[in-house]
Amino acid sequence: MQKVFSQVKSVIGTFSLIAILSSGMVSAGGEVGDHVNHLSDNLNKYSEEVSWLIKKVDGIVTRYELDGIKAANAKAVIDHWEAVDFHAAIESNYVPVYALIWQGLYGVKESIDNNSGKEAVRAEQRKLEQVLWQALGAVKLAAQFQDRGLLQKVALREGGPTNSLETIDEIQARLNRVVAKFAEKLNKESIDIVHDTYLSLFEGIEGDLISMNAELVEQLEKDFNVTLPLGLKRNSSVKQIQDIVNDMQKKLSIAKELLAKKESNKKEVF
Amino acid sequence: MQRRTFLQQLGALGLLGACPAILPQHLAAAPSMVSVKQLPKLKGELTLYLGRGEGGLYENVLDAIKKRNPDFDLKIRRGPTAALANAIVAEAQANVRRAEVFWAVDSGAIGLLTDKGLAQPLPEDLTSQLRPEFRFPNWAPVTGRIRTLAYNTERLKASDIPDSILALAESDLSIAWAPAYASFQSFVTAMRLLIGEQKTINWLKAMNKRAKKYAGELGVVLAAERGEVDLGLANHYYTLRLKSGKPDATVDLAFTNNDAGCLVNASGIVALKQSDTAINFIRYLLTTEVQSYLASEAYEIPLIGDLAPPAGLPALQTISPPKVDLTQLANLRPTLNMMRKAGVL
Repeated sequence: MQKVFSQVKSVIGTFSLIAILSSGMVSAGGEVGDHVNHLSDNLNKYSEEVSWLIKKVDGIVTRYELDGIKAANAKAVIDHWEAVDFHAAIESNYVPVYALIWQGLYGVKESIDNNSGKEAVRAEQRKLEQVLWQALGAVKLAAQFQDRGLLQKVALREGGPTNSLETIDEIQARLNRVVAKFAEKLNKESIDIVHDTYLSLFEGIEGDLISMNAELVEQLEKDFNVTLPLGLKRNSSVKQIQDIVNDMQKKLSIAKELLAKKESNKKEVF
Repeated sequence: MQRRTFLQQLGALGLLGACPAILPQHLAAAPSMVSVKQLPKLKGELTLYLGRGEGGLYENVLDAIKKRNPDFDLKIRRGPTAALANAIVAEAQANVRRAEVFWAVDSGAIGLLTDKGLAQPLPEDLTSQLRPEFRFPNWAPVTGRIRTLAYNTERLKASDIPDSILALAESDLSIAWAPAYASFQSFVTAMRLLIGEQKTINWLKAMNKRAKKYAGELGVVLAAERGEVDLGLANHYYTLRLKSGKPDATVDLAFTNNDAGCLVNASGIVALKQSDTAINFIRYLLTTEVQSYLASEAYEIPLIGDLAPPAGLPALQTISPPKVDLTQLANLRPTLNMMRKAGVL
């Protein structure tokens, strides 16, 4: 548990303190519920769900060991995950761990489907359990921030950014969703998010940005239109996609600083 | 004048100023301008539907209007322009009129509303502030943008560039374009209206053999600047903005002559309810101050009086855009069908 706690602490360093869901979001298991805006009230439920899920996965692995692939019905690993509210809680608060969960789920499922050895399957199961506990820790931490008013309310309806700084926030949130959807193996959806984000959001701010740092915009143009879509189309790992997105997030943070500077020195209209 | 280029236009500017008789007839003398200081204070509530675009610059204008009018309660619904136009039509069909004013980033969306009879007439003293070619009875263009050929100055001389958009397809130039981009589709719509479907399809097919696709038009201009292609088809402001951030950028602007290749399109505003507040709000967008702000900050073309175009763009009077009813650009379906037929989309 100490290890998990230190991992959670390391999460704090990069925790963006913003909810990453964007407007009109639908999660893997359907509409995101308002429970994500009341994390503390739901922590017991989330804990129970994680325990339940771990037990279910263990049952699947045990059946595999005893009766083989068909009896195990490994697809149920995904169904069980999609049945719990906890997935929306972690998806809305810490996408890197959310993506790891999906990797873990598919790790167990595919190792069974591929008729891997018992040890290999158990190893995948342990990896999944570890990341689920890590995720629970991240949600507990997010609940504390939310209680202190430091976590932005998750938008469940159509809203939209009102200025270039909010636009950057929205772009960063959507890029996190790209990683999440890719980890869920929803490749087409992740590519669609990239294209839509570029056309409906990045296009609106790059005019301002290019007059301040043309090189940065050129790099982001390439990232949006070549590097990331190609990575999603090819057989990349979740980590490779996460690395591309992390690199874009850094560039977007620089862009946000530039836009904030411009905003503070903006010309008066009247 | 066989070749129309950015530098040539600048050079010609003085000449044209001295010889007004050679100006195109439809680009007549500029009307008078109104300052915000001459306008009445706005009071009461107004619901604006605002099409997303230009980052936060339109929002800055709205903030400034609110700040100047403390008794004015502006409620804003934001979204993609086309989606808001559809929402307004749907609301009208349900007998609900939430939006009182709609500020759209392109005139095509306005056309959808004027076709449905939802746009209210604007007073003549308001529309007469606009240049004559941008006067419409029931909507007001706010700022303009022009289609251009952005070319790489290391690979091409201005004289290498055809002054006809149709001739471009027969040239041996490598070209960048963004067919999925809304402004490009408006340009193809204009071409369809001007020369007909068959000629437009033929042009699209010929171009498709040599053109490289990009997602957006800044990407097009960047490709021309990097030398990936000889030139790209894009709205003017991408090149101006790039040159502002990268003064040594190897890209410049050329214009075709009196065809869809130099179409001047516009953002626009429409009143959906008859009210003094709505009309006076529109007046604020046509003031010298707002038009100058959008020209200097968004590189958009002012459409009132004789305000200067954004730095780096020749005066509108020196370009020969085609005469197109901008509201007809709303009819995108045949354009998209054509583009699919030509294998462009």
